[in-house]
Amino acid sequence: MNTGPYSDEKVHRFLEERFIPVRSECFWDNPTPLMEKYAIKWTPTFLVHDPGGNEHHRFVGYVPVDDLFAQLGLGVGKIFYDTDRLEEAVRQFQTVIERHPGAGATPEAVFLRGVAEYKHTNDAKALRRAYDALTAHYPQSEWARRAAPYSAIPL
Amino acid sequence: MAGIVWERDFDVALEKGKKTGKPVFQDFWFDD
Repeated sequence: MNTGPYSDEKVHRFLEERFIPVRSECFWDNPTPLMEKYAIKWTPTFLVHDPGGNEHHRFVGYVPVDDLFAQLGLGVGKIFYDTDRLEEAVRQFQTVIERHPGAGATPEAVFLRGVAEYKHTNDAKALRRAYDALTAHYPQSEWARRAAPYSAIPL
Repeated sequence: MAGIVWERDFDVALEKGKKTGKPVFQDFWFDD
């Protein structure tokens, strides 16, 4: 039940303080309505919903503790971003970047931090800074390639 | 360590989310 990253005390505390944790069991021979609603095809699949039940982020497969924290932080940032709480989104993505620089989800946080800052300030330099950060720290990531068009923006 | 107290009913989890303002973290799992 509480094995893998769930056995970590920090994960335990973070999940209980910052989220409502819910477990939904899967049955492959008789999929549940929730499995069908969210098109669950493999386990574990993790979803982050806003308090209204709208899905904003998902990831598949168990991840180490640092990656789990980054995924959870990214999910919260996406809730802010998707609901146009852009200042909070920038802060949240920045937190992921600073606390989990080596996590798999962090390049996406860098990309979305730039986009959220641009949408909030209308300053395109935020996009260029995202490109620069991605090419400097995560040059092999898909997110660096997605940011390539921003390389033409002057600083 | 006591371990994480997981809600089992998704609708109850959403109600708790609405009351507290917290996001809902849902783990779809398979007990083999």
